[in-house]
Amino acid sequence: MAVPVSNEERLFSLVLALLATETGLTKADVLSSVQGYRQRYRPGGNNASLERQFERDKEDVRDLGVPLESIELPADQGASQFTRYRIPKGAYDLPADVTFTPQEIALLNLAALAWREGSLSGESRRALMKLRSLGIDSDEPLLGYAPRLRARDAAFDPLSGAIERHHVVGFGYLKPGDTQTRKRRLAPLALVQFGGRWHVYGTDQRTGEPRTFLLSRIVGQVEETATAFPAPDGDPAAEALESLRRETARNLAAVTVQPGTDAAARLGRRAEAHDEGRLTLHYTDLQVIADELASFGPEVLVHEPPALVDAVRERLDAVAAAHGDDDG
Amino acid sequence: MADAQPQRVQDRLAFLLALVPYLLDNDGVSVGQAAAHFDVPEQRIREAVELIAVSGVPGDSRQYQHGDLFDIDWDRFETDDEIAITHQVAIDDSPRFSAREAAALIAGLQYLSALPENADRATIATLTAKLTRASATAPAAVGVEGEADDRLGLVRDAIAHGRVLRFDYLNGRGEREERSVEPLRVESVDESWYLRGWDRARKALRTFRLDRMADVVIDEGAQPQRPDGIELPERIFQPSKRDLTVVIELAEAALPMLADYLGDRPVLEPAKRRGWVRTRLRIAHLHGLKRLVTQRSGLVQVIEPEEARRTVAEWAAAGAAQYR
Repeated sequence: MAVPVSNEERLFSLVLALLATETGLTKADVLSSVQGYRQRYRPGGNNASLERQFERDKEDVRDLGVPLESIELPADQGASQFTRYRIPKGAYDLPADVTFTPQEIALLNLAALAWREGSLSGESRRALMKLRSLGIDSDEPLLGYAPRLRARDAAFDPLSGAIERHHVVGFGYLKPGDTQTRKRRLAPLALVQFGGRWHVYGTDQRTGEPRTFLLSRIVGQVEETATAFPAPDGDPAAEALESLRRETARNLAAVTVQPGTDAAARLGRRAEAHDEGRLTLHYTDLQVIADELASFGPEVLVHEPPALVDAVRERLDAVAAAHGDDDG
Repeated sequence: MADAQPQRVQDRLAFLLALVPYLLDNDGVSVGQAAAHFDVPEQRIREAVELIAVSGVPGDSRQYQHGDLFDIDWDRFETDDEIAITHQVAIDDSPRFSAREAAALIAGLQYLSALPENADRATIATLTAKLTRASATAPAAVGVEGEADDRLGLVRDAIAHGRVLRFDYLNGRGEREERSVEPLRVESVDESWYLRGWDRARKALRTFRLDRMADVVIDEGAQPQRPDGIELPERIFQPSKRDLTVVIELAEAALPMLADYLGDRPVLEPAKRRGWVRTRLRIAHLHGLKRLVTQRSGLVQVIEPEEARRTVAEWAAAGAAQYR
């Protein structure tokens, strides 16, 4: 009794106890009998802090993908002391027919490595641990590759949580081309990276239409509301990518680049080249490509479409004016 | 190695749940072998085994009697450093993935599918279906569409076979020159690909953007000449003593867009304009600054030094002049 039980041992014992029970354990059963709780349990006394510990532990365990169920009998609705807890083994175990070849394991290792920083790096580390649990050796790793996905945008975590729970979110959004943020409400369905940028795709709550927002332009906190929406049908990530792809195929810009410049090297890769430095290139969002083209200054001259010409010229004029001699 | 970051208690629990089925399937595995398989220090395996061996279920007596606990062959463990579980309770199979774990792997796979010579679409689709089935609840929808760079295959071959690369490089200052580089690693950050390697002329590690490299060839005659034991730092962008410091003001709303340049904890002071802040930016040269500011028109303004302000003004004015 003198040796304190570590958090790790308490959580492990909780999972084992709830896996071993068919009918489930009540909270009182858990607190009075499971290793790590029972040492601190006071029969007939006040166990409020231990009960809070149990609530936190349940969340930690569920967060790992362990299907911890609470069962309430209809007769006992609302009386939490009768709620029974258990982990059904069938829902806990990896399905027996899911297996991986050594080559697939090598690929999954590399996929997990892509998240070396930021959001999801902890999740991919744990996923790797579970994969290794299967005891399959990996093929030779691919040498020299270190692809890296980043989701440093602070909005990524809260949005992916809200997507899983099907909750409407609210956030401030700085529309490309604006300097003031506007409040948005969205039923988020998917997070997609397209053209190197993270987007959240969902149903705009004001218009009821599907919309895509750039994560890098979300300002301040993403607030998850209590408003739930039904789980979407189909594959929203594929839909989001498809709609971005369609948009990009529709939008075509014509520009001239100065030969030998950074613009020629970098835009040339993504564009179709014509005579005398003329390029045509597809873009997803007019304001976003206007920002990029403006950054090339005199290395790029935009011809088409007219709205893009105006957007680039306005940006260059504004920067020149803000940095000119007569300005503060 | 997985232990580079401090372990959270959830990670430790996940490790125990992953280790038990592995040990059951690999009866008598050595501590060293298990450590290599999970990519953790041997000591972590020993500590986990010691904990597993005294854990179990409360049992009918609710007293954690001997038969309610895991047990191992202690002699073998202590003498031969081998792990044999002799009694097992409650778990025998690997746990499912959480929705977020599955989503992380699926998104990583989609990213990889953009790389040349990597898995074809069919393999990615099969794996995605398996991961979805292996997930506790439906994975959060995460998708990635990447773009391959056609130079990747050649660069990758050079790395794998220890060859030297020669190419024309347009540096950030707009100067073009031939570089001879011993390639060490290709990395991508979002949509951009970078080659990191030993620059033979400068006798130092350098990072190159793939989209600024032209006429890339393998230098058939050249032998590597970099010193032994060169280690690549983890971060691609290393601050340098020669960096310039520039004072800028920016709209607060634009802070996330400059996060890569400002570092983790930028010092912010209030600016005169409402909703704007003043801070310092470290940059390699003014050529980079003028592009950075012009890309964020109306959101960022250079305050000092005067030379930086003038460089930005001239760049934007020269661009605008083309339209008159």
